[in-house]
Amino acid sequence: MLDYNVFHTIAWPGAYAWYFFVIGISVALFFFSALSWFREEFQPLRKSGFYLSFVLLVVGGLLLISDLSQPMRFLNMINPAYLKFDSPLAWGSLNLITFGIASVVYLFFMNKGDDGLAKKAAVIGALLGLGLPIYTGFDLTVHQHRPVWNTPLMPVLFVALSLLSGAAVASFLAKGNEKLMVMLRRFMLWAGGATAAMLISLLGTTAYGGSAAEITFMFMTSGTMGMIFIGLGMLVGLAAPIALLLAPVGRQPMGVMAAGVLLLVGGMALRYAILIGPQIVHTYY
Amino acid sequence: MSEELRMSPRETRGKAGLRRYGMVIDLRRCIGCDACMVACKAEYDVPLGVFRTWVPYRVVGKYPTVKKQFLPRLCNHCDDPPCVRACPVGATYKVEDGGFVLQHYDRCIGCKACMASCPYNARFMLPEHRTRTNITSVVDKCTFCYHRVIQGLVPACVQTCVGRARVFGDMNDPNSEVSQLVARHATQTLRPEQGTKPQVFYIGADRNMTEYGRNIYDASPEQDDERAVFNRNHKV
Repeated sequence: MLDYNVFHTIAWPGAYAWYFFVIGISVALFFFSALSWFREEFQPLRKSGFYLSFVLLVVGGLLLISDLSQPMRFLNMINPAYLKFDSPLAWGSLNLITFGIASVVYLFFMNKGDDGLAKKAAVIGALLGLGLPIYTGFDLTVHQHRPVWNTPLMPVLFVALSLLSGAAVASFLAKGNEKLMVMLRRFMLWAGGATAAMLISLLGTTAYGGSAAEITFMFMTSGTMGMIFIGLGMLVGLAAPIALLLAPVGRQPMGVMAAGVLLLVGGMALRYAILIGPQIVHTYY
Repeated sequence: MSEELRMSPRETRGKAGLRRYGMVIDLRRCIGCDACMVACKAEYDVPLGVFRTWVPYRVVGKYPTVKKQFLPRLCNHCDDPPCVRACPVGATYKVEDGGFVLQHYDRCIGCKACMASCPYNARFMLPEHRTRTNITSVVDKCTFCYHRVIQGLVPACVQTCVGRARVFGDMNDPNSEVSQLVARHATQTLRPEQGTKPQVFYIGADRNMTEYGRNIYDASPEQDDERAVFNRNHKV
């Protein structure tokens, strides 16, 4: 064989997966903090969950900016003269900024002790936060030629992953509070079950898609990417913690925290594989 | 009874008073000399490792009846370009009269959304350091030689093509050579199912080259080696 081919780089590297991971946790922690105004069990997360959410939001924003090849031009994203609403990225940047503003407002009223306004800011912030994992998935979905990405499951999958990773981190902030651990365990099980169902259907539709989808399935389930996606993501990071949570030990705080560690590993591995895997096939054509 | 073709607001094919430049590549005439790649590199100081146009080939058949199948590639200057839609800051735009899909280099933030959205891999990131050109760390691509075409010249790759395999012209002019070629020959476009309405038409393209082939299941050792070198140089 004397074929000549020009290979191409993948457009979005692994740094984006870290952003997806960090921002997903940030949003979920804000959600738990907001939930504390309505459910007594989440009370311990009101401040600690929010503060960590805010720190992760800043880290996520910096990750996103640092991955631009022209980081100093990130302001173009909020320049009304340049902003183009056809692009999901434009909506995402506005969503990120409004979520940041809502977080600051929430912090202000919470520290001022104005519970009424803090509660309202929490609800608005939680709704804006929900937009972030939705936009993350939508950002991938709009690329019509990419198998796996181009499915309506993506936004829902990223919401489920966000709740999963957020509940995992929250289990460490809960400091063994039993009522909270019960609620977090339920979140982990429901979000984990939803994620598993979506991943299985995603694998099925990808395996039986066209040739590009079929090759993408091959890349995502074999070699190093297969180890990351199936091994770390689905087995170690999803099936194992669900099994652990269903076992008697999974009802103890330590069991929930151990499941949390596995879920964090799986959450990162799944985001990485879903981001990188579907880009590999196009580097050959 | 005829019905007017409904198009997206971006499309300009068939619009009166607007030119819609396109390229026809007659693969029966392509000899794989790569002069188009060299002319393009010279015209734009395209850095090593990236290409505005490239000519992959496959060797098919069994000795003694073997042949090389070429498929010159470049930006398809889609009539409905997904890269324009993906760009959050309007750095990628379409010139209405002519249909060129171009870049505002000073506006590009390097988010690579356009690269992710392009089904043709026509876009690439310029390196941080270049010897003669100070446009760096932004996304670049073929411009259909906009600067030459507005002066009445044809793109550099078309100018240099020794076999006259590449033909360039206004697709909206029914008397242009490109329109005549598309009207008289069976032509193919790449990834027509994506709805991008590409404006690069191929005559005599082989499906082994235009479609996602399964040959990467059993890649040759040479291809694996090339891939490993590429990954090393591009930190994949």
